[in-house]
Amino acid sequence: MRTFLILFGKELRAFFYSPVAYIVLGLVMVLNGFAFNASVSFLQREASGGSLVKWTFDSPWFYLTYFAIFPLITMRLFAEERRLGTLETLLTAPVSAWQLVTSKFSAAVIFYAVLWLPSLINFFVFQYVTAGAADLPPGALIGSYTIVFAMGLFNIALGCLASSLTSNQMIAAITTLTFTIIHYLLGLFASTAKRLLPPSSEELVDYFSSVTHLQTFTSGLLDTRALVYYASLSVLFLVLTHQVVEFRRWKS
Amino acid sequence: MIDATDLTKRYAGHTAVNGLSFEVGRGEIVGFLGPNGAGKTTTMRMLTSYLPPTSGTVRIAGYDVFEDSMEARRHIGYMPENVPLYDEMRVREYLRFRGKLKGIKGGRPVRKRVGEVMELCGLTDVRRKPIAVLSKGFRQRVGLADALIHNPDLLILDEPTNGLDPNQIRQIRGLIRDLGKEHTVLLSTHILSEVEMTCDRVLIINGGKLKASGRPKDLSDDIRTAGRVIAEIKADPKLAATAIEKHVKGLRKVNATSLPGGWARVSVRTEAGVDPRETIHNIAVSERWTVRELSRKSASLEDVFVEITQDDLA
Repeated sequence: MRTFLILFGKELRAFFYSPVAYIVLGLVMVLNGFAFNASVSFLQREASGGSLVKWTFDSPWFYLTYFAIFPLITMRLFAEERRLGTLETLLTAPVSAWQLVTSKFSAAVIFYAVLWLPSLINFFVFQYVTAGAADLPPGALIGSYTIVFAMGLFNIALGCLASSLTSNQMIAAITTLTFTIIHYLLGLFASTAKRLLPPSSEELVDYFSSVTHLQTFTSGLLDTRALVYYASLSVLFLVLTHQVVEFRRWKS
Repeated sequence: MIDATDLTKRYAGHTAVNGLSFEVGRGEIVGFLGPNGAGKTTTMRMLTSYLPPTSGTVRIAGYDVFEDSMEARRHIGYMPENVPLYDEMRVREYLRFRGKLKGIKGGRPVRKRVGEVMELCGLTDVRRKPIAVLSKGFRQRVGLADALIHNPDLLILDEPTNGLDPNQIRQIRGLIRDLGKEHTVLLSTHILSEVEMTCDRVLIINGGKLKASGRPKDLSDDIRTAGRVIAEIKADPKLAATAIEKHVKGLRKVNATSLPGGWARVSVRTEAGVDPRETIHNIAVSERWTVRELSRKSASLEDVFVEITQDDLA
């Protein structure tokens, strides 16, 4: 645990000491602003069953942010250690591969969570300037941030795996981006084609479609199946990452 | 301190290290010598648990490197080849991070220890500089300070003087010799004079196999008795060579070249323990040749190295 905390602290510092972190933070804030603005304009034009929160997160702007974040925060994690050769100094010190993988993952998750915090300001400022007239259903707020966090765990674990496979950060970033998009498209395709499929398959499609998950959670419904889905895939990817980092030590 | 038994590392298609066994006792400074690609780095990586051997075992201070990996690692200070460091960290920050990682308590103990190793390695003046701006010599010292920080029993240094200028090499060597008073040191190099100056014992490997082991002086003595004699005789080079070939016992090789003024320079190599000088003198006397030089070349470690590693190539 001590070793984990030392590594975790170092990783977290590496995030917040780097200028890239603040560029990403700025980018996410701008994109969130656009998403919020689009949501407000949408509700001005027509009546809708969804809340302001729902249309902020269940929007194309959200997906733009979503695709951009993960390659940027995960590409460096393992690829850079491999390129510099510092993986050798780390793994010949009394550090296990698990401590290394979990500390890097946790630091990235914390950084990811921080990236989303400023988006809360939008809602509360809006509520303040409208003197409480704006409706911010707590269910939708909790649901939205829960699913954003869960999807984050999944994609960060995916990014860790991609980064551990190469010493080139660009390759890691592109691999992460590709698989994040593929996962999204699979879900989109499944949700769109749902009408054509036999009704019995509906439940299966709902299980892995991130589009459906987002719609459900932003409406304020907490669906544990989706949470289990993201959590278990995150664990799977972390186990794979661990295997890749430990791979040199496999005895034939 | 190190007990390596039958280490073998096979990659698809080639064997990097083949049945290497050796021991290093407490307090020794041992040089690990071999041409590039001989398997030095692979062996060191197996000793430090970075690479698993295909077969064979390593024990460090009694702990198996793979069974009791964490315990074994606590006893090792390792400086890999080319000294990988985090460029964005500052010297002191990096050493504190590594110190804590290797089990030194945070706060005062780690600060004190980092101060000590920075003093020892001459890093105090650059402690606030980012590692990225350091010269190669300073990077090497940061690597050494990192290896030392948890005061390990055993230091494993992969080419510690690689890429340094002569002054820096001298400083690092001095440092290693001082460290050798309290620590066991295994260092790899292909610079021979380095081994002669710093090490108690040499292990020469080539093609992944142990070729020779012993004190640098003993090794060169071995070669010396099997050494080379130079004779300059006033005679036809071919005749001189044939006569020597005929009479000298335990001969390996004769080489004769003609010099101006009717002189021949004959170089004679023999088996160990044979001194052909008397025989050569007697030949010259009976043939009525004048001899103006008859000498034995004392072998340097370089000769030993060439002798041992060239045999395989030929």
